[in-house]
Amino acid sequence: MSEFAVVGKPLPRVDAREKVTGAASYAGDIRLPGMLCGRILRSPHPHARIVSVDTSRAEKLKGVYAVLTGRDMAGLRVAFVDTPKYPADEPPFALDRVRYIGDEVAAVAAVDDATAAEALSLIRVEYEELPAVFSAADALKPGAPLVHEFDYPGKSIWEDWGARGRPQSDPVPRKDNIAARTFVEFGDLAKGFAEAYHTRADTYEVAPVAHAPLEPHAALAYWDASGKLNMHVASMGIFYKRFVLAKALGLSISQVRILKSYVGGAFGGKIDVFPYEIGAALLARKAGRPVRIELSREESLATTRMDFHATVHVKTGVRRDGTITAQDIRVTVDTGAYRGTGPVVVFLCYSYNIPVYRVPAQRYEGLAVYTNNPIKGPKRGHGAPFIRFAVDSHMDMIAQELGIDTVELMLRNARDRGEVMPTSGDVLHSCGLKDAITAAARDGDWTAKRRKSNWNVPERFKRGVGISACSMFSGSPYYPFGSAAVVKMHDDGGATVFAGTVEMGQGSETTLSQIAAEELGVPLNDIRMISGDTELTPIEFGSFLSGGAFVTGKAVKLAAADAKRQLLEMASRLLEVDVADLEARDKVVRVKGVPRHGLGYAEIIAASVKQANADPIIGKGHHKSVPAAELHPSLSTAKGRWTEAYGFAAQLAEVEVDTWTGKVRVLRLVTYHDCGFALNPQIVEGQIEGCVSMALGQTLQERVDLREGQMFNPDFIHYRMPLTLDTPEMVSGMIHSDEPQGPFGAKEVGEGAVSGVMAAVANAVYDAVGVRVTRLPITPARILGKLSRAEAASR
Amino acid sequence: MKRLIQLHVNGQTHDLVVHPARTLLDVLRDQLGLTGAKRGCGLGACGACTVLLDGRPAAACLTLAVEAADQEVLTIEGLAEGGALHPVQEAFVESGAVQCGFCTPGMVLSAKTLLDRCPDPKPEEIREALAGNVCRCTGYVKIIEAVSIAARRMREAASGN
Repeated sequence: MSEFAVVGKPLPRVDAREKVTGAASYAGDIRLPGMLCGRILRSPHPHARIVSVDTSRAEKLKGVYAVLTGRDMAGLRVAFVDTPKYPADEPPFALDRVRYIGDEVAAVAAVDDATAAEALSLIRVEYEELPAVFSAADALKPGAPLVHEFDYPGKSIWEDWGARGRPQSDPVPRKDNIAARTFVEFGDLAKGFAEAYHTRADTYEVAPVAHAPLEPHAALAYWDASGKLNMHVASMGIFYKRFVLAKALGLSISQVRILKSYVGGAFGGKIDVFPYEIGAALLARKAGRPVRIELSREESLATTRMDFHATVHVKTGVRRDGTITAQDIRVTVDTGAYRGTGPVVVFLCYSYNIPVYRVPAQRYEGLAVYTNNPIKGPKRGHGAPFIRFAVDSHMDMIAQELGIDTVELMLRNARDRGEVMPTSGDVLHSCGLKDAITAAARDGDWTAKRRKSNWNVPERFKRGVGISACSMFSGSPYYPFGSAAVVKMHDDGGATVFAGTVEMGQGSETTLSQIAAEELGVPLNDIRMISGDTELTPIEFGSFLSGGAFVTGKAVKLAAADAKRQLLEMASRLLEVDVADLEARDKVVRVKGVPRHGLGYAEIIAASVKQANADPIIGKGHHKSVPAAELHPSLSTAKGRWTEAYGFAAQLAEVEVDTWTGKVRVLRLVTYHDCGFALNPQIVEGQIEGCVSMALGQTLQERVDLREGQMFNPDFIHYRMPLTLDTPEMVSGMIHSDEPQGPFGAKEVGEGAVSGVMAAVANAVYDAVGVRVTRLPITPARILGKLSRAEAASR
Repeated sequence: MKRLIQLHVNGQTHDLVVHPARTLLDVLRDQLGLTGAKRGCGLGACGACTVLLDGRPAAACLTLAVEAADQEVLTIEGLAEGGALHPVQEAFVESGAVQCGFCTPGMVLSAKTLLDRCPDPKPEEIREALAGNVCRCTGYVKIIEAVSIAARRMREAASGN
């Protein structure tokens, strides 16, 4: 790695100074002259018919500038998944029906928050309550109330991109609450199970958790004199937001501009286009003034998106040596009142599981089910945490039953470089999975610490270790399918990079600057970054499919290479030396082997301006997320190319269980992440540590408390996230597998290390006290219950 | 009924007309344009709105503006003196203790208070002092490291004087 001057180094982030001084501006920090405050009226019922909405008194209140209801956008439906098979199903504001507590009914814009709140209280809505359903299991029962009575097939949002459109048709009556189904089958399942020496089946259950970024959701909208909509939003991909907003509002794409704001954390929860964003835009148009809608913490938690409630059944057949012969998996998720990303998550539970272990025969079925609960969406890992929790808890039990060490069992089944994924045809061009497992076991003192606890001795504190592995993709074919970037040289030889990335904490401005600096041969502080603005930057993939560094990084690298090529060609003319004999670094083009024979970039650019018709030297680059992919893979069959590169991680937990109180303390969490190449090791470590902390929250303490559709802990006192005091010792290592498709060998890092934590901890708890927890979170009550049952059984 | 108050913020005095129900956070953000203190939860549970009142950390979302009158309010915007970062800010930048940055202003001010009263904190004391500031991005590892580094530098600077 020493051949690099800028990448591979733990350099401080380029956005850090603005953030430690309070200068960094987020969507809720912007104040414009005449700006109004928007607020949303929401359904108090989980399922009801709207009989009437009367906004007349609110409209007459002094200080109210605009009121809107579902009537202002009748017929409009918006959704993250909007395909001919799964047509968009969410009206941004309800017209005749509300389907969950928090469903948007009306919105107002007023001079201040108090006036807006008063206006909401003056809106009269008459509801007729309908029977509701609150779990996937109940919603699947015959005769369950239908959350949606009709599908509304019509024009898919993807029609411009060649998605098979459907002619406008009448609403299609629905028969059940199945929002989406993925079914995959390959190999000879019956033969695989028949050949198995041992077969085991288990069921696991995961409670929904919240993204809970510190920044609440916010949007600011204003229309300029040309009729263009300008917005500051809390987003993860500005070009995706622009596309959907333009479609929803009936504008051409270039009539919408998203302007730069920093984003205060997202973790998947800010990619959808939300009713409050559409509401802010429409209120601003009605009022003729800028409108800001800042959701409260309660609204952010309960009415935007949350992670899924999931049940996983897994049955595996293995040979005597632990090699898998067949696997049958069924996943059921509660997707809430609208599809959200239900169709995606049931596809992903298959797709994130398959790269880990070699499975010769598989049946997989995933069901996403409508209920009258809040809507579910992608959260860091998007299905990988619960599928990996289930499968690796299950594999730990199989290892125990076969009398094989779990690490050995994992290594016997783990995939290698060069393997081709069934159904998608994706190839593992790099794969450091086995290296990661071995390194995590080594640093976690696996051999010394495993199976050391005596379950039958009545000690209060018992310790154990557990391990798990996981995989994650690096970008996928989804709008806008790729990224472009521009590198503009300045007279002094420095450069400005134009890339549409959104800096939401992941460090993209820094890593992309490092990529440009390295490729261009300039120091990092000679790079300026223009990002997060759909007018100022070329189109960009977004930071929501773990493709930020992989896809946009490649585009930036190509743009910098293009600028460098032009510098070299000009220098070649000036020095009268062949380009092949030149090298560019430290802002100087030199003749190879003749270190003193060279030209500074500033001199080359000046010569270019003088001699090449004022060419200031501008490089451009572009890269598609999956070059061989047509549009996107089939969510229902998992056929079609899906990603270019997979990241892998292995995670080992060491825990101490208090057998008196049931409390689990994580002492140490070792992660080895195969990120291909660490563009900035400090940022990679930060991503791993953040993943681990968030995952430990989900494993041990976090749970959205939903009762009959109502969130009972919609605040930061009752929804308890990990604090400094909950932080274990972390070892965060990297495996450099040098991905040939990635910029400088890099692949994903932001999501991978979230998904091995759950099973690692559950397996460590088993190792410590001999009880198997199959439901997350692993609360003291669950541990105590299991311990007392185990004790009763042994008597 | 609105009241006339004087707020002393970052060394500057502001004459303000405020409703007694307005929080210090509202007034800082909406009337003074100081948006460094963030609204994370509105309940004093996350620490993103932390400011210092006469040197003591306070949740600006739970403090009424009228209560803060006649006290010295320090917000994150007032911490760097003459453009030079405070050692805590510097250490946060260098150690990778900043990700999305939304918790950072409150985290930095809580850390500064700790180091003002305890120049050589043990890791447990750092954890304790920052336990009221939630960070969803970093997993806290680099934040705790940054505070240790800042403490060491501040001690070195103090002993050099």
